[in-house]
Amino acid sequence: MTITVLKPGLQTTIQAGPRVGWRHYGVPAGGAADMLSLALANRLVGNPWNAPALEATLLGPTLRFDKAVAFAVTGAIAGVSLNGDDVPLHETIFAKAKDELAVSATEIGARSYIAIDGGIAADDVLGSTSTYLAAGFGGLQGRALEEGDLLITNPADCPLLRTPDEFRVPMSSSWAVRACPSFETSQLRSGDELFEKNWTIGRRADRIGIQLEGATLEIASDGRMPSAAVFPGTVQCPEVGTPYVLSVDAGTVGGYPRVAQVARADRHLLGQLRPGDRIRFLRREAAGAIDELRAKLDYWQPWLEDIGNII
Amino acid sequence: MRIRCVDDLLSVAADGPADAQAIAAQLLDTGEWLEVVPGIDSVVVLFDAALLDAGVAQETLRAQLENGVVPLPESGDIVRIPVVYGGEFGPDLDELCRKLNLSQDDFVAMHTGCDYVVDMVGFTPGFAFVGGLDERLRVPRRKDPRQHVAAGSIAIADGRTGMYAVASPGGWNLVGHTPFALFDSKAEEPFPIRAGTRIRYYAVSADELDA
Repeated sequence: MTITVLKPGLQTTIQAGPRVGWRHYGVPAGGAADMLSLALANRLVGNPWNAPALEATLLGPTLRFDKAVAFAVTGAIAGVSLNGDDVPLHETIFAKAKDELAVSATEIGARSYIAIDGGIAADDVLGSTSTYLAAGFGGLQGRALEEGDLLITNPADCPLLRTPDEFRVPMSSSWAVRACPSFETSQLRSGDELFEKNWTIGRRADRIGIQLEGATLEIASDGRMPSAAVFPGTVQCPEVGTPYVLSVDAGTVGGYPRVAQVARADRHLLGQLRPGDRIRFLRREAAGAIDELRAKLDYWQPWLEDIGNII
Repeated sequence: MRIRCVDDLLSVAADGPADAQAIAAQLLDTGEWLEVVPGIDSVVVLFDAALLDAGVAQETLRAQLENGVVPLPESGDIVRIPVVYGGEFGPDLDELCRKLNLSQDDFVAMHTGCDYVVDMVGFTPGFAFVGGLDERLRVPRRKDPRQHVAAGSIAIADGRTGMYAVASPGGWNLVGHTPFALFDSKAEEPFPIRAGTRIRYYAVSADELDA
């Protein structure tokens, strides 16, 4: 069956799991910027956690189904309607042929995930169907959805589910994420400032990187750092002193000091940061961060059995 | 051996790009790491912290390197890469030649006149940092990076030639374009160019591109 894109939204792409094992060729992980919300959406329609779904950014799409199909929307707080009537987030919704689904602008959080029973047909490139916009591959021809696009799905039938309250990722405009000091944190003249300030998310907050505003850090760097590996969650600080956080589509090596690393447990939250949000980095040492990761995995296990692969 | 741990990342120091590539190759061969990423003078591995304690990961890495690192074999075959130089295919060549006080023919003769070795692949998918550029062609990156550089672009900066395997933003000086497939997602080896690959460029005309 097909889904017609009536309005594409601001930037809606097909996203699935990450690309793993290609970073030494310069291929970033990509995939859903908020992988946990993707997995939650797929769970509600009986898909594998990493089935291709839609990731909408700030303003969602309007879609029309040509046949009956189940879908679910998770992630940011946004209005979801079917033929103009509100339907809830975090619940399996059964649409009929010709029904129109609209996802509004997000109110809190940045990204909505729309999973369709059976997933969405997409280009598999290097082990993932996720769209990598910068290089133009994966997903639907490597690009964001456009008006008139047709998406193909093969529904399988699924029961009605609701995400239990305790497994809904809390959305906020004021975030606290755990982070470890990183390989060049010692180059900061006031090493604690990064962890003590309340930062504001700048205008640039996309799948590549998230700008932090609110202070200028002093860094002892002459701009000649030999390029070194960076990852999603790496906080870099160039000589001008305004740090930014790399997200899922960022390049794989960089020449700016790595001053913090968002802990694996909280990396999925990067996908929900939007311009104007506030953020604090909670300082963790490596061992503590890993203990907390395992506690988080244990917590989610009852609802998402693959949680160890998801976050 | 100095290994540092940050969350689920371990960084090991290397003595320059060739050593970093050799360390990375040795670590990739073990198949035990989620990612192994060489830089200029370091290698970082990503481990699965859900399964491995940081201390265990660190000791595993140490054990994999403690018997020394086998240098990468010099790759024997030279990959010959056709390039259309200048014009719309290398929009910076004109200005570059003026700055360097060279004719375009001089430039092409110098750029095609020697063998190169790939120092590193990465940043964007398949982007090749090719070492061995004639010192007389050493120029800095552009002050105003382009938002869009086409896949197949051949560029120079900071004493190296860069090859764009996919489209991306970029600050290197564009001197030409190659029809050679630097990335083919369907191929058994999607990225035919790797660190250590020897390369020689040869000039072709725009007409030959379609041939």
